Amino acid sequence: MEESKQQLYNERLGRYLAAIRRKPIDRISTSIPVGSYADAISGYTVQELMYDPQKAEDRAVQFLKKYPEVDTFSAGFSSTVDFDILNSRLYRIPGRDIDPKSIRQFNENEWMKADEYRKFIDDPIGFRMDVYFPRILGEYEKRGSIRSYMAFLKAGMQQGVARELSRQINTRIKNEFAIPPSSQGIVNAPFDTLTNLFRGLHGIMRDMFRQPDAVIEACEAILKQNLVSCVGMADPKKQLPVWIGATRAGFLSPKQFEKFYWPTFFKGLIVLIEAGWTVRVFLEGNWNAHLDYMAEFPKGTVLFDLDNETDIFAAHEKFGDKNVISGGIPTDLLILGSPEEVRQRVKLLIETVGKDGGWIPNSGGSIPAGCKPENFQAILDAVKEFGVYHTGPAPEPEVSDMLDVKPQLPKLDRFITSWEEAKETNNWAIPGDEDLIKKNWELFERMAYSWVISRR
Amino acid sequence: MKELVAAITNLEEEAAVAIVEKKLQAGVSAHDVLAACNEGLIAVGDLFSEGEYFLTELMFSGEIMNSIMEKLTPYLSAGETTATKGKVVIGTVLGDIHDVGKNIVINLLKGHGYEVIDLGIDVPAAEFVKAVRETGTKVLGLSALLNSTYPEMKTVIDELKKAGLRDSVKVIIGGTICSEKVREFTGADDFATTAIKGVHFCNSVYGHE
Repeated sequence: MEESKQQLYNERLGRYLAAIRRKPIDRISTSIPVGSYADAISGYTVQELMYDPQKAEDRAVQFLKKYPEVDTFSAGFSSTVDFDILNSRLYRIPGRDIDPKSIRQFNENEWMKADEYRKFIDDPIGFRMDVYFPRILGEYEKRGSIRSYMAFLKAGMQQGVARELSRQINTRIKNEFAIPPSSQGIVNAPFDTLTNLFRGLHGIMRDMFRQPDAVIEACEAILKQNLVSCVGMADPKKQLPVWIGATRAGFLSPKQFEKFYWPTFFKGLIVLIEAGWTVRVFLEGNWNAHLDYMAEFPKGTVLFDLDNETDIFAAHEKFGDKNVISGGIPTDLLILGSPEEVRQRVKLLIETVGKDGGWIPNSGGSIPAGCKPENFQAILDAVKEFGVYHTGPAPEPEVSDMLDVKPQLPKLDRFITSWEEAKETNNWAIPGDEDLIKKNWELFERMAYSWVISRR
Repeated sequence: MKELVAAITNLEEEAAVAIVEKKLQAGVSAHDVLAACNEGLIAVGDLFSEGEYFLTELMFSGEIMNSIMEKLTPYLSAGETTATKGKVVIGTVLGDIHDVGKNIVINLLKGHGYEVIDLGIDVPAAEFVKAVRETGTKVLGLSALLNSTYPEMKTVIDELKKAGLRDSVKVIIGGTICSEKVREFTGADDFATTAIKGVHFCNSVYGHE
């Protein structure tokens, strides 16, 4: 990277990281999640952006030429081809099932039945292969057919291809535009995984009353899986935060939250935090009843993205001294309001929530597709007008002093067929270097295990 | 009957169903049992409105009611099991396939005695207009989760105007994406971000307050 670009990259990254760490910054960070808005102004349909990597790349290029003021941008290629290859019934796909301009839509259902918790907990792979996949993956309905084998083979290959394409786009964005991504790696709250992918809101609602212990045990089992998969994807430099979308707490009473949601949610994030990572959490829906809990996270470890329903001023009151908060510009204001209204709103937020660097501009989770361009520009302009703390240089990106700290992960063998079993059942004599073979065997075992566990 | 009302109010499913069975065996009229159940449901709705209960608790009161109705239905005459408070037409607007919120509202409305005509998801404006005309409903509910649907909600209401039906029906838009600003943009009569608000809206239109 050219020196001037490296400097610009460091300024943006340094400002963003310092904001999360609650350290002094030169101005409000503009690490604004803009995914849908960037889609909308690219001129491409959502279908084109999900199927055509060149268009996905052009979307990022167009956006960053237009808005060089942003500090981060998530440029990846969100391929949806695997949902065709396997015919995932969890989603309605733009251009295949619904309008090519629509976002991918989630098809919530009770994909796991109320009496299947035991198998789900005791045999996570068997449950998926025997019970869950035949329900959610159309191409796997006739298990054992040539067609079903081909579907899995294609899906595995596609994952590698899509990751490489994303990597290429991100590298170009870093080198040409000097823009870092806003996060790396994803971890979900176990209660959300259980609700979204397996039981649905109606199912989990009944389970919390009728079989509460099973819900708690399942969340603990999911926590192990989620944590182990997440650590493999997180930023090895421990700079960029891990992203988490916390989706279902808004439907729970404080009593339910404390019993079912909070324990595994907190435990998961704390393992990452104690190993030196930060996390960026989108609190989806209305979290007003649960804000006290958020004050329990250590200072400078979490960036909270708030949804429209959560009172950002109350959140600031409870934990704004410890961690940075993003949000507070209502979605409907960006779609239906005027630039002056947006300017006034940003001014208010900077003067209150952001008065000592504790705020990052955002709408309810991200800038909506229907945001008027003049309203998005009004956010950036208002940051320049009201959000500069000093004219000195931005802080340098902090290098983690916890690189050697290993996360305290639960024990989890991610092998369906262990090396020992493979060696024995295949009658391999191994006259050469066994470690060399074993290392590769286990690498792909783990990859396949994670693929099965996270498949949707 | 006080203990039945209390069991439902406290969301104690097993206790509530057991009391219903005991009452029926003792010869208490199913009509009276149903009235007590409704009292319990209203109490849960009030606790939700006061912020004491949350969504999943409100939903579970509907589940308890379903369990009770299994016991109760054989004892009720046909007229008593059908809704009597009024008709409501509801659907998720074109461009959106989400139905979790809509279904919660439907369960609640049914629990509160309304006949609900559910048009499903991804419903075009013409189907809403047709249903309003054919059912003569006084309430139309437009549901959505995606903020890209604001223009579609407006389209439905514009189409009602063109069809000369706007004055005969009250329209409420629902979903967490709704607000006063969105209501004004779409031309709806009211908006709801909670399911119970939808029930209150129907009660006010049909004069059951």
